[in-house]
Amino acid sequence: MTTASAVIPLIVAVPLAGAFIIALLNQKIPRLPDLLGVLATCVGLLLSLWSIYLVQVQPTSVYSVGNWPPPLGIAMVMDGLSAFMLVTVNAIAFAVALYSVDYMERFTAKWQFHSLFLLMLAGMNNVIITGDLFNLFVFLEIAAVASYALVAFGTERHALEAAFKYAVMGTIGSTFILLAIVLLYANTSTLNMADIGRALAQSPAPHLTLFVSGLFIAGFGLKAAVVPFHAWLPDAHPSAPAPISAMLSGVLIKALGVYALCRVLFNVLGLTSQISSILMFLGALSMVIGVFLAIGQWDLKRLLAYHSISQIGYVLLGIGLGTPLGIVGGLFHLFNHSVFKSLLFLNSGAVEYATGTRDLQKMGGLAARMPVTASTNFVAALSIAGVPPLNGFWSKLIIIVAAIQAERYGYAFWAALASVLTLASFMKVMKYAYWGGLGDAWRDVREVPGFMKASMVVLAVVCVLGGVLLLPGLREVFLGAGVEALHQGTHYAAGVLSEVK
Amino acid sequence: MNGMHIIFRADRLSISVAVFVAFFSVLIVCYSLGAMRGKTRLGLYYGCVLITFLGSLGAVFADNLVLFIVFWGFLGIPLYLLIGMGEAERASYTAKKTFILIGGTDCFMLLGLAILWQLAGHPGLAQFRMSGIALPLTSTAAIMAYLCLLSGTLAKAGALPFHTWVPDASEDTHASVAAFLPAALDKLLGIYFLMRLTLEIFHMTPAMNTFLMALGSITIIAAVMMALVQHDLKRLLGYHAVSQVGYMILGIGTGSVLGIAGGLFHMLNNTLYKSCLFLAGGAVEQRAGTTDLGRLGGYAKAMPITFGTFLIASLAIAGVPPFNGFASKWMIYQGILDNGQYGGGLWVVWLAAAMAGSALTLASFMKLIHAVFLGQPSTQAAQLPGDSRESGPAMLTPMVILAALCVVFGVLAYSIPLRLVVFPSIHAHPEFLGLWRPVAATFLLLLGLGAGVVIYWLGAAMKTRETKPFVGGETLADFSAMRVSGTEFYKTVQDMPFLNTVYRLAEKKAFDVYDVGAKLTFSFSRVLGACHSGELPRYLAWCLAGTLIVLYLLMR
Repeated sequence: MTTASAVIPLIVAVPLAGAFIIALLNQKIPRLPDLLGVLATCVGLLLSLWSIYLVQVQPTSVYSVGNWPPPLGIAMVMDGLSAFMLVTVNAIAFAVALYSVDYMERFTAKWQFHSLFLLMLAGMNNVIITGDLFNLFVFLEIAAVASYALVAFGTERHALEAAFKYAVMGTIGSTFILLAIVLLYANTSTLNMADIGRALAQSPAPHLTLFVSGLFIAGFGLKAAVVPFHAWLPDAHPSAPAPISAMLSGVLIKALGVYALCRVLFNVLGLTSQISSILMFLGALSMVIGVFLAIGQWDLKRLLAYHSISQIGYVLLGIGLGTPLGIVGGLFHLFNHSVFKSLLFLNSGAVEYATGTRDLQKMGGLAARMPVTASTNFVAALSIAGVPPLNGFWSKLIIIVAAIQAERYGYAFWAALASVLTLASFMKVMKYAYWGGLGDAWRDVREVPGFMKASMVVLAVVCVLGGVLLLPGLREVFLGAGVEALHQGTHYAAGVLSEVK
Repeated sequence: MNGMHIIFRADRLSISVAVFVAFFSVLIVCYSLGAMRGKTRLGLYYGCVLITFLGSLGAVFADNLVLFIVFWGFLGIPLYLLIGMGEAERASYTAKKTFILIGGTDCFMLLGLAILWQLAGHPGLAQFRMSGIALPLTSTAAIMAYLCLLSGTLAKAGALPFHTWVPDASEDTHASVAAFLPAALDKLLGIYFLMRLTLEIFHMTPAMNTFLMALGSITIIAAVMMALVQHDLKRLLGYHAVSQVGYMILGIGTGSVLGIAGGLFHMLNNTLYKSCLFLAGGAVEQRAGTTDLGRLGGYAKAMPITFGTFLIASLAIAGVPPFNGFASKWMIYQGILDNGQYGGGLWVVWLAAAMAGSALTLASFMKLIHAVFLGQPSTQAAQLPGDSRESGPAMLTPMVILAALCVVFGVLAYSIPLRLVVFPSIHAHPEFLGLWRPVAATFLLLLGLGAGVVIYWLGAAMKTRETKPFVGGETLADFSAMRVSGTEFYKTVQDMPFLNTVYRLAEKKAFDVYDVGAKLTFSFSRVLGACHSGELPRYLAWCLAGTLIVLYLLMR
């Protein structure tokens, strides 16, 4: 353990501490929850950017919690994939925290919101950097339980119903994951992920590995809202307050679902061609079914929620290809989707904040009264539709090229078709919500306050400039290490264990 | 992503296209200074025109396909914004439809690019040109790649089956935008890429040539038939913009050097006269406040210069010598004959379609000129006497320049455009079949003109009209039946058996890819939506079933 790696646990500790401090001091200082929420996420963002640097210096670093050496103690492992995910999660969290300062004024008990929000963030951060399978499960549950509460935050009828469904289905997913962990523990007598990988390599148990892989696909797939495990998402994500929808669709399904699934399948159990095919098939299925469901919606947030299913399909398809180019495309799309989908949810929140409705048929002409919301929404719509030169175009291009190079022509076709329908449904959003004549009811609508605008503009700028991350030089720093971490497969174990000794 | 270098490279074809792009950008800005005066959101308008100009230059000079598609796709954004700026109520709908058709085909172009990259091993554009190695269209993958990339060019240029945005956009947007994008720049870019695709990237097979020629012929006939029955000036011009693309595709599809040169030449000519028509139409619209043919009429007297340019451009588009449209159509006809000599058995059909299209175009423009410039002024127009005067110099200058070029490109076809622009662009110097056969030319010409006249009389002569006897001394305005607006000229065509069914279906948008696609999508969406009833037990059942299937697939 080096001194540099001693900073690793801070990325979990800071939001966790923030959550508890807010809860303790809730009534004492009026603006404290806002201040601490923004501050903690800002520190999280800085730490995650620092972790990108750390990974450049040292590809894998391990921190032993409480100085108990792994595999007995809990290890935190920072590698390229973790650093990449941390930047994604914490950048979005920062933008969302900023946005919430103004947006959450409408709700009572704002401190509860910030406290739960930071708890969820701490859960996600720990899921990303942990090297211990059971620790992963615990913090996955922390993040999930916080998110159940946040979905119900509005305490309206539909929000409570959605949260209940989400909780029931989420728990089923967690049960699958726990069962898989138990089976692995029973067989290898260890919970450290690297150690499990080593044990499985020494005494292979092919049937167990396959069965456990299946359980993980179902469990994490449920968290990632992959078809057919997706049905909780279109209820839960729209019912939450807009910043939480942005967090859930933007990063939670990826940190708890895609990241955890890929980490376990690629680095611990090993990716076989069978599993790769299943991942790609589930990805393509989500991609197509999600977009068909989305295009028919008139509730703006529900439309966005279905698109999350569809876009997760792209990510899974790219990563499931298993080729370096496919993984680049998948990871880059994961990042891009986080940015534009959070932005879209924030925009929908801004519209709801100003007009009080989410029904596209009741809106119209809002661009005249809300220029910042309209233009940032336009940027995000073009990004998700894959119009060049915005960020979504590049990742879709890479995924399609990767699919063709892997000779998966059918999947490439479905990816292109889903892209057409994505474009169509966002043109629908733009037309009904923002263009055209201004409805009489919205004559006095005003643009949203400053923090909300700032947060939307920042995300829109990232959408516009996202393609820059592919330039040589930046590409290796931002994506290269993450791709390498996944593509090394089960060599992960050797890398981590050598760091421990 | 190896093999991706960001560079631009120019050859004669791209320089020729770029010169035209720049030329039209200047003309449109000049015209807009007059036409857009007093409109709102001018900053956005001129900004979109400017980035369209720059984006088009980027696309024509792009050295590799990735860069090309970036610029190409990017051009959809200003197009969408410009159309959305139109004053018609439907403008935002039309903008959405346009972007879905253009952007949707761009998604398939990505697929085509990916397949091409895989087959050729590089995504270069110039690389094909310089190595001279084209991909043969023999494997399924190559054909798929070609069709995917072709779909993008068809949508951009506005050919069947992705043409439906062109008439809508022409009708609903400002005339300057219609003259700039669907009429000029999108044609230039679409046909530019079609040429690259057909001549350099892929090695055409006879079957694919036949496919292209069939597509071109159908486009010519279908669009001109739709144009015949339109009631709106700009929409009618929009259908002609589609119809003319058919000639270019037909010319390039012949695969003979002469036909390809003709296609390229026709592309340049078309941008000249079609822009001129839209600009003149816009000038009339500004005066009359409408583009409804039933409410226009008699503008020749008030706007003589506009009328003159419109007349020249109309004759050019109808292929009447000595204007430029004739010269390029003539080359395309010869290209078809050429193709016939080398075994294309269907050449008679293509030739007939091209000539019939020409005749119908002439017929349609007879109606248009009558309805807009000749004929009786409608009551609405007559009530605005003070407003019926010629447009300002900012608007007239581009129109006059374009009309003058229509004449120059026709009379001096060989010595200026062909020798300086077209032949160097395709690196060939084709021999005309039998040196500009004047007899055949005259014969074909008379045939075309004759057919136009026949159709004209078919409309006028077969109609008997009952009216009160006209004694003299009455005010004409009171006798609405005395006024022939021109919109009814070809109503009989709509009533012919078979054609009436086709027209009825077309009105229901049964041939509109966009509408058919939307219907299919939404019905599928409704089925899926009905499955999501919100019942928790059902959702849990899906999860369980999914888990069991995954486990079965893994453990079997």
